[in-house]
Parts: sequence; structure tokens; C-alpha cells
Amino acid sequence: MSMAVGGGTGGPKSDINMTPMIDVLLVLIIIFMVIVPLTPHGLEALIPQPPPPGTPPADVDRTVVIIINRDHSMQLNTEPITADRLTARLIDVFKTRNERVCFVKGDPDLEFQEVARAIDLAKGAQMDKVGLMTSKMEQGQ
Amino acid sequence: MAKKLMSGGAISDINVTPMVDVMLVLLIIFMVITPMLSKGVSVDKVKTMNAIAMQAAEKEDAVLVAVTRNGEVFLGSAKIPAAELPGKVKDLLTGRLDKTVFVSCDSRARYEKVVDVVDNLRAAGVDNIGLLTELDQKAKARADALAASFASGGESK
Repeated sequence: MSMAVGGGTGGPKSDINMTPMIDVLLVLIIIFMVIVPLTPHGLEALIPQPPPPGTPPADVDRTVVIIINRDHSMQLNTEPITADRLTARLIDVFKTRNERVCFVKGDPDLEFQEVARAIDLAKGAQMDKVGLMTSKMEQGQ
Repeated sequence: MAKKLMSGGAISDINVTPMVDVMLVLLIIFMVITPMLSKGVSVDKVKTMNAIAMQAAEKEDAVLVAVTRNGEVFLGSAKIPAAELPGKVKDLLTGRLDKTVFVSCDSRARYEKVVDVVDNLRAAGVDNIGLLTELDQKAKARADALAASFASGGESK
């Protein structure tokens, strides 16, 4: 920008330096352009539908259920397990199986994040399908 | 800063004012659009490592059920009692091949409420739900690094 130096009656004048303002504005625009297009992420879960009448009952021995108790302890079927070992154990169990399906059951008093973490760990063990088991479903079956 | 040529050529510096005007307008547009984009209720989603991208959740006709921290259930942006869910969700899903419902629950919502919503969705014939979560890049990087170190160094058990 120009600086006109008038030596006579006017005295020195200076115009506003625009460059810092443009920098600030560019940064703000980039911030907003980044915030706006965030894709939602999530975990897929299945809700087991009641089987149509007449189908043979599912093989109970083969179903793997992750149970989260009220005191935040977890069990894999009947075996107590901790969160850090869950993924490794699931990978072990499913080494010999083709269909990677497991169920997650949580105590109603828990916070959702506990159950979400369990589903997250199951997905980390490459489960194709994680089903949510509720007490109503168990009774219905 | 241009030196004035003695021989009389014209030199002009770029006039920055219109550029600043345009940028201010763009900035204001983005500042106005951003709050309007988040449909539905704001919930604190759980941070997970294995979340996958769910583009379909952003679509206009996506069915979005939200469960807030104190147990209120919202379908889209409207609060509804959980018992009305099956009817309304069934209506929204008629004629659609992909009966996926997206459920975004607050991380501290009681699981009992989520179970209630899941049971009602089951009654509406939904079998596939997407639990919306936040992807925690750092935790995923740490977990991947840990898994890699197990695979390479942990063979002798």
C-alpha cells in the first residue's frame, strides 16, 4: 500500500496495512471450511429379529456373548475377561470359526459408553456382525 | 512499495480492499451455515477406535434417533416418547430397501434407555443399526502400534 508523504501542509499520512487482516481472515475461513464437512462415523450393530416360527433353535454352544456386568467387569460367555485382553481372546476363539458373529449384552444400569467400548473392541477383533442382546429378546426366544 | 518511475510509467499496487470484502462475505457465510448443518440434537458421542465412515447418516432421508444423557429420545430433531418409535420409524422406512437406522447416543446415557430404543426399533422391523460414534485417531494409532508389536514380537508365548 502506498504511503504518501506530504511535507507541506498535510503532514504524514499512512493507510491501513491490510496484510495481517487478510492473514487472519484466511485462517478463519480455513478453520470453518474444515469444520463443516465432517463425515459421521459409527459402529454397525445388528438387532436379532425373532426367528420365524418353525426354525430350529440356534446352536447355543456356539454363540459367543460378551456380557458386561453392573460392576463394569466383562465376561466372554462364562469366562471373566478384561478389556485389554478381549480383542486378543476374540481373535483366538474365532480362529477356528468361519462366521464371525458375536453378541453383546449389558446391564441396564451401565452407561452407554461401556457397551460401546465392548462393541468397539469386538469390531477391532474383526467381527463381521455384532448383535445387541437385550433381555426382551432373550425372553422372546 | 513501488518506486515512482521518473519517465512516467504507471505502476499500481494491488487493491486489497475488494479481496477483503469477498473473504469477509465467505467467512460470514460459513459462520452462518455451520450451526445449521448439525441436524438433530447434540450429543457427546463415545470415542471409538474402529468406527467406520457412515456417509448415509448425513443424507436428508436418513432416520436418526438420538438418546441424550438424561434419557430423552429424539427422532430427527423432534422429541418423542419411546413407545411411538415403532410406528413412526416404520412409516419412515416404508418403501426403502435399506432399513438401517442411525442411533446416536450420548456416552453417559443409561444403557437401559438405549435398550428400550433398540427393542422398539426391533418392533419396527429394523435389523441393522449404525451406532454413531467419534473416531479417535490417536487411540487407533496406539492400538495398531500395539497390535503390530504383538504380532512381531509375541510369537513365543
